[in-house]
This record gives sequence, structure tokens and C-alpha cells, in this order.
Amino acid sequence: MQILKVENLYKSFDGADDVVTGVSFKINTGEVIAVIGPSGSGKSTLLRCLTLLEKIDHGTIIVAGETMVTTLPNGQVSYTPEEKLRKIRLRLGMVFQNFNLFPHFSVVQNITEAPIRVGGLSPAKAKDIAFELLSKIGLSDKADAYPYQLSGGQAQRVAIARALAMKPDILFFDEPTSALDPELTGEVLKVIRTLAAEHMTMMVVTHEMSFARDVADRVIFMDKGEIIEEGTPDKIFGNPTNKRTKLFLGNLNLNSGF
Amino acid sequence: MFATDNSIRIIKLLALLLNGALTSLQIFFLTLLFSLPLGLLIALGRMAPQKWINAPIKLFILIMRGTPLLLQLIFVYFAPFYMLPEGFKFSLPRFTAAIIAFSLNYAAYFAEIYRGGIESISQGQYEAAAVLGFTKTQTFFRIILPQVIKRILPPICNEVITLVKDSALVQILGISELFRVAKNESSRIFSTTPLFVAGLLYLFMNWIVTRVFETAEKKLSYYH
Repeated sequence: MQILKVENLYKSFDGADDVVTGVSFKINTGEVIAVIGPSGSGKSTLLRCLTLLEKIDHGTIIVAGETMVTTLPNGQVSYTPEEKLRKIRLRLGMVFQNFNLFPHFSVVQNITEAPIRVGGLSPAKAKDIAFELLSKIGLSDKADAYPYQLSGGQAQRVAIARALAMKPDILFFDEPTSALDPELTGEVLKVIRTLAAEHMTMMVVTHEMSFARDVADRVIFMDKGEIIEEGTPDKIFGNPTNKRTKLFLGNLNLNSGF
Repeated sequence: MFATDNSIRIIKLLALLLNGALTSLQIFFLTLLFSLPLGLLIALGRMAPQKWINAPIKLFILIMRGTPLLLQLIFVYFAPFYMLPEGFKFSLPRFTAAIIAFSLNYAAYFAEIYRGGIESISQGQYEAAAVLGFTKTQTFFRIILPQVIKRILPPICNEVITLVKDSALVQILGISELFRVAKNESSRIFSTTPLFVAGLLYLFMNWIVTRVFETAEKKLSYYH
């Protein structure tokens, strides 16, 4: 089943790069998509448009058959009314590069706050879900800790649990390990691998090429705001057809030596 | 004999000054009661993207911070009578005028402190709340404001301490607060003792203010 459809999406900023120029793609339920590409290629901007953190300049985004935003024939961008938009948005989860945990809430509160206030769950039920998720990410003993007491890897795992608690249909990751010390990336990637094994639909913007190769069902290579090439990891990493993809991966191979 | 005489005089003086201090405290608490929430509203207006909202508020803050509070007290008390056209004239009770002037003045200062606090919270907090589905109101009151309060306690404490001392200004309207009572008593008995004791009372009040804020800061120190 198709869960996300993006058509001809454009987004630019005054005087900034990292633009998106005419991107179209689809995601099916249970798919794991890795988005790779050089810095400033528009990967993060694309994710931010999909999660409504940025307003698009042009295009259409359809989530689970419901149109979140579309562009009228006269060129005017038309977002779905606020109430409905909030409902559609609940299908989308997001994990940020810098975790963005709420510092004044304990770990368990970070996870339960949205299910209680937004989802309308009882605190007891929300707590059950939170503890289930905490055991899944291996942080049951940190339930009452505060974010400042966590390592970066732990904080990012809590952020993933926080997003999962809302039971999103798609989970977006914006460079989830880029702010971490190298020795801490493994624990976060392991959680994402577990989710992939459970067929959680995910779209991961990442610089971890080996992770993209191992975990993704499909890899999207972006450069200068466009999707240059997409396909299975074997195709993209083993036999890329586009010059820019080859150049990008070639440079990486030289630098990282894999 | 002499000692008893003295202690009676001291008790009488203290009773007199404490009575004045009570008025000072009323001004203090009422001003905080009105200016703290009003300041938050003003801060939000000051940060509004619409020029027709933020421009008049900027002007308000400029006037409130840019003119003497003493003058504002006089203005609020006299202006409704002397500046309004015939038929619209009215006069406020002195005490009410004092509370209005103080609340507006302190709200302007508090507003800028709130604004500093609110703008210091990272954009990521708003974004995390938005993708989790929180409404703007929920985000502000559950996520942003609690963090703001922790950050602005020290500058708010500064203002509150100043307010204790500024309460002496209302004597310009003939209100018998601590300082005025002490000054009159000083003139009557031809001694600086009442003023000195009043000074100690101000110091005592601000010692309590300081302790209250220290306790609050400690309570919020459970996170960074």
C-alpha cells in the first residue's frame, strides 16, 4: 500500500541553498528509504517539508490517500484546513539530528506527554506504552532520568521512542547520528535496524553509507535539490548509472575507505 | 524607668513603621499580581509578526522604560481629571492610581525579560512539539514557558527587589507607605532613627524576596 506520495515538490529560501527543486517519489507501507547526498543537497529541507516544518513553494504531498497540500492550477499552494492537517500530521513522526528532547521532562514524561495531551490516552496507558518502548530501546533504567543525564546515543534513542509512542505511519529521521560521537552511532542505528526488521515505514536522511546499504529497501540519491538516482542499495552502491552518484560515492570511498 | 520608657517608644515607632510597611507590601503584591501576567501578554504582542500589534507595544515599552516612574504615577493620578474633556473627567483613588502606574511600568520591564527568555528557547523545541501534534497553546504552556521561567528567575528577582524599594515612590501621591511614615516621624522627633529602622525593614523584605527566589531556583535545578 502506498503511504506517501510526493509530486513535483519545490522549496527555496531567500539567500540559502539546501533547496528542493521538483522532487517526486512514493513510499509504500513497510519500506525503508535512505536518502543520501552531499551537504546542502536539499535532503533535510525535503524532510522538513514533508513534516510540515516548512511550507512548500509548489507541489503535492499525499499521506495515506489524504491530500496534505496540493498546488492549484493557478499556481497557488493549498494546504488542507488546520484541523484536518493536524490529524494527517499525526501519521508522521520525526527524529531530529539534535534530538530536541524536552529538558524539563523526565525520559518517561518526554514519551508520555504527547500520547496523553494529543492522543487523549490515560496517563496509566501512556506509561505502559512508554515502558514498553523503553525496554525495546534498552533504556528501562533511565525512565526517571532527565535528558541532561543521558549520553547523545541514549537521548536519540529516547527521541525515537517519543516519536514511536504516537504510533506514526511513517517515521522520518533527519541525520539521526550526525550529532553523535562515532562510538555512539551504533546503538542508535541498532534501534533503527530493529524497527526496519519490524517493517516500520521509515525515511532516513543519513551520511552512514554502510547503514543505508544494509538497512534500506531503496536508496534515493539527491544533489542540488533533485533526486538524481534511486534504486535498491545494490544498484546505487554497486552499479550507479548517474555520473554525479558515481562521483559522490567515489569521493566517499576515497575518504572513508570502505 | 528610663529603659521602659525607651522600649515603649521603640515599640510605638515599630508599630507605626510596620503599618506603613503594610501599605508598601500591598503595593508590592498587587503590582506583581497584575504586572507579571500583563508582562507576558505584552511580550507576546511585542513578538507578534504583525506590525500593527508590535509597533504600538514597542512604543508603550519605550515610554514606560524611558520616563520616570515618579512622573508616571503623577500622570495616571492627574491626567484623567486635567487632560480629559469636560464631561469625561474623572479621578482615580490615589491607591488605585498607584497600582495602575506601577503595574504598567513593571509589566513593560517584565515583558522584555519574558521576551529574552522566550527567544532563548531553541527552535527545535517548537519543532519537536509541532511534529508530536501539540497545539500552539499546549506548546507554549507545557513546553516553552516552564523552560522560560527557569531562565528568567534571576532577572525577575532583580526587578522584584527594585519593586520593594520603588514602592517608596507612591508617597508623591500622599500615600502613607513605609518611607513617608518614617520621614514624617523623623521630622517630628528630630531623629534619623525612624529612617534607619525603615531601611532595615526594606532590607528585611528584600532578604525574604531573595530567599524566595533562591528556593524557586533550587526547585527548578532538577534539570539543565
